[in-house]
Amino acid sequence: MSIAFKPEETFRGDYSYRNSDAAILRFPFPFPEDRYMYSVNIEPHTRSGPSDVFLRPFDVDEHYIAECRDRAITLERDPGRCQVLPHMMMAQWDTLELLMENLSADYPELFSLTKEGDDFGSRWTWINRPLRIKQSFIFGDAGTLPCEPFEYITRQAQGDFAICDQRDDNLYMDAGMITAQADWSLEFDVGMSFMEWHGPVPLAHQAGVFERALKYLLMLRLGQPVRRLNWTMSINPRLDTSPESFPEWGPDRSSVTPDNAGHKVHLRVELQTLWRLPRSNAILFPIRCYLASLDDLARVPKWGKRLNRVLATLPPQLAEYKGLTRYLPATLEWLAKHDDGAELPVGTEAGVTTLAPR
Amino acid sequence: MMHSDIKSRPEYRALEPDLAGNRHLLVIEGETLQHGRLDALAGTFAPVAGQLQTWLVGAPTAASGLGKVWQLAGPDAVLDAFACASRGFGMGDRLYVQGTEPFLWSVAGAAALVGFGPGQVQLHHAGSLRRRVWCTHCHAFTDGVTTNIVPCGGCGRHLLVRDHFSRRLGAFMGVMVDAEAPGEIPAIEEVFA
Repeated sequence: MSIAFKPEETFRGDYSYRNSDAAILRFPFPFPEDRYMYSVNIEPHTRSGPSDVFLRPFDVDEHYIAECRDRAITLERDPGRCQVLPHMMMAQWDTLELLMENLSADYPELFSLTKEGDDFGSRWTWINRPLRIKQSFIFGDAGTLPCEPFEYITRQAQGDFAICDQRDDNLYMDAGMITAQADWSLEFDVGMSFMEWHGPVPLAHQAGVFERALKYLLMLRLGQPVRRLNWTMSINPRLDTSPESFPEWGPDRSSVTPDNAGHKVHLRVELQTLWRLPRSNAILFPIRCYLASLDDLARVPKWGKRLNRVLATLPPQLAEYKGLTRYLPATLEWLAKHDDGAELPVGTEAGVTTLAPR
Repeated sequence: MMHSDIKSRPEYRALEPDLAGNRHLLVIEGETLQHGRLDALAGTFAPVAGQLQTWLVGAPTAASGLGKVWQLAGPDAVLDAFACASRGFGMGDRLYVQGTEPFLWSVAGAAALVGFGPGQVQLHHAGSLRRRVWCTHCHAFTDGVTTNIVPCGGCGRHLLVRDHFSRRLGAFMGVMVDAEAPGEIPAIEEVFA
């Protein structure tokens, strides 16, 4: 398998990010039915699913190089986007190991890992060909890497990463590499318990969703990762929609019209996976972000129509929480033109294998 | 008034001595000591008076009936006092704090650094509902906030004061209220008296 990377594309400024036809067809579309349903929707993270993005535990796609560069830009401006509390060093090594082992096994043309042994003190050599990195280091000795192990490996991965420490029958967000977040602040949330960091989410607390999710996650087992899809919307293909930079991207929400919604409004889907870590007993929480414009999505007729129906039934509290209120009417007006009302099969599959020309 | 749908908002309750405790430390923010309240506290803590010491912070007058009483000048003096390792607090000891919300969490944070676990600490909110607000954009703190919207002391942006609360920062989140439509600032109201 070879991936045609697009190293020059941008997620800010001129927003030159674009999806190839193949990238659109493998987009993890999150809505199986015509109306909005709130659910925890956790399932085993197996190597299968309705989209290719599920085929490997850590998906690498055509945006890999550009996303890593965008992360570096954000970290340069705001180093606080990567934070690790002092007791999390073991979990840092767990994370590095998990990512290096999976990436090198699933993408041998891109990554390689050579190990003298599995234990602390053994010499490892990591090669990342797309980013042109070769690093030999002693596993367990942070001084042999250019920065701490969690930052080191997550600078070379797509998606955000949080690590939750497990103690007192609770999970605490005690580390994070967060540069592509849907409007939440690591600086504010670091150290928070599970209920605290989910504090602002509407409706779900009352439904008992978080109590059930926490109980489930406390029982998460090594080697049995789980996943769910979460979604929101973004104006422009922007990864850094943090509260820190809200003054920069907030005004974009007022720029949407029924004429420009097709290329301005993006569905932002997060593939969230959860992994028990072997030495620290912490939980790694990767949040992998996929962006597709309405133009992209409408090229898959089923998805364009379904998105129209789901957004039309979204409870107002959720629209407000997701920050859609200001541009939802223009978005729906655009989508309505792409929805003939035809009956759609249940499920998230695209239902087509090629796209009509743009 | 203290209730919120946002679950990060802490809930507080009245202080009550934990009889299983070894030594008991009561830290009181002076401005929250209303007339007669001192006697009530002395009554509440009478069962542990022999193992009680009280740090009275920024209070104009001395107190009695609260074990061994120390007068401290301000919150910084509390942090210094905790940092003084010779006091040697252990896991059998109990901490009780009464004060405004920023005071509670600065004391709780300092206590955590010297080893007080959550199960050893009781916090009681008293006095003003003024908030410490943390700016999500420039990360500056603005203290003594009584309004729903406040200009940030750091960057000057108008911040909407949310109920989302960080115990680590001892502060509520403030988010630029007119980021989507610059200049559109809703009516400013006194809400945290």
